[in-house]
Formats: sequence, C-alpha cells, structure tokens
Amino acid sequence: MTPQERDELIAAVTTAHRERGPHGEIHGHRAFHDLDDQGRAAAFEQTLRLRAIEAAADPGSLSTTARAVLARLRGASPR
Amino acid sequence: MDLDVHLAAIAAGDAGAFGRWLAGAERPVRESLRPFAVHVDCEAVLQETLLRIWQVAPRIENDGKPNSALRLAVRIARNLAISELRRVRTVGVSQEMIDSVPEPSPAEPPDPILRRALEQCRRALPLKPAQALAARLESGGAERDETLAERLGMRVNTFLQNFTRARKMLANCLRDKGVAVEELA
Repeated sequence: MTPQERDELIAAVTTAHRERGPHGEIHGHRAFHDLDDQGRAAAFEQTLRLRAIEAAADPGSLSTTARAVLARLRGASPR
Repeated sequence: MDLDVHLAAIAAGDAGAFGRWLAGAERPVRESLRPFAVHVDCEAVLQETLLRIWQVAPRIENDGKPNSALRLAVRIARNLAISELRRVRTVGVSQEMIDSVPEPSPAEPPDPILRRALEQCRRALPLKPAQALAARLESGGAERDETLAERLGMRVNTFLQNFTRARKMLANCLRDKGVAVEELA
C-alpha cells in the first residue's frame, strides 16, 4: 500500500457516514478493515480533531457524528 | 458542567435538547473508546451508543452525581466495543479493557476565537479541497463519500485526496493563527 492509498483509507474512515443493516444496526466502515493498527489509530485521532473542527463550524456546535445521530433518530419511529 | 440539565427534556422526546447534550457528550464518549481504536470502528460504536442513550433516556435515574447519562454512555460504549471485539475475535479482551471505565468530563463549547480562525482558514482553502470539506460538512454524515464525490464530479479517491489536503491545510492555518490543533479534541 502506498502512503497515498493509506491516507485515502484513513480519510475514508473519518466520515460520520456509516451503513446500516436490515435491523438498523450500524456497520463499521469497510475501509477500517483495510487499515493496519497504526492506520486505525491515526484514523481515530484524526476523527477526534475533525469532529472538534466540525463542531466549531456548526452554529449548534454539532459535529457530523451528532448530526448523523440526530438525523437517524428523527427518521426513526417514536420510542 | 452537568449535562443532566438536558435529561428531563430528552426523556420527554425533545431532540433539540438531545442535540445540546450531544454537543457536550460526544467527545468524552469517543475518547473513552481510545483503548479499542485499533480493534473496532469506534465511530460505529459511538453512534450506536448515542442512539441507545436516546432510547433509554426516560429510564435513566439520577444517582445524585452529575452527568449520569454521560457516565452511562461511557459504560454502554465500552460494553458495545467489548462485544464487537469478542464477535470478530481478532484479539483477546484484556482485563484492563474490562476494568477501565474513565470518569468523563463534558466538552466545553467551541471557543469563539477558534470559530473565527476556522472561518478565515476555510476561506483560504483552494477550490477543490474546500469543496470536498464543505461536502462532508453539509452532508452531516448522511451520505457516502461516493455520493459526495459524484456530485462534485470527482472520482472517490480524488475526493479523499482533496479532503486530506483540506484537513492538513486547515490544521496548518489554524496553527499559524495560534490554535493548538493537537489540543482541539
């Protein structure tokens, strides 16, 4: 794997988008499984910083993770 | 800061209150998953945890200490991560992983100085990286990168390269403005 390919996989993992299964369960990102331990750790740390930046860019201080979760519960049936 | 001030409204079904809770709770719950970061996709575990907190909020009992919902979220996240570890069986679950339940502290709201610096740095980005970053932000995790890339007329690997450029350029710009990027999280 080239450094550029590794960077692309790490960038892919940092998205807040996650696929859901037929019963609503949230799946891990495909790219996560293609990374070695160092790449996974780097993705975790980059995501942590990205979410702080996203929250700072959002009027409600919400990261893309928070917005994804809110969108999912608003689209779900009432509890 | 006690995020339990939002708990009654969350229990009553107020998604806005849950958003305010999320703004303070996401970071400490995510950080609590660091010991699992090389074994499980912590973003998926985190989102599942946060959805479960919404579901169980009416049944959360205040134990007299602050941040009862946040402490519960940390426990749920850890248990989900351990379950996932056992499911994929890539590594044994150490006693340290089972025992380590950190005492979480809510995240502070973003600093207004950081907000201004970020706006300036985003305006300074070249077009393509700025487009990739904006697409991720505007999507809010609702769409796959493949969809965002297609909308921008980019191949997905080009999109990811532009996003990576944007992230690195933003970090350098923020550092130049005195923001300690490493301490943001």
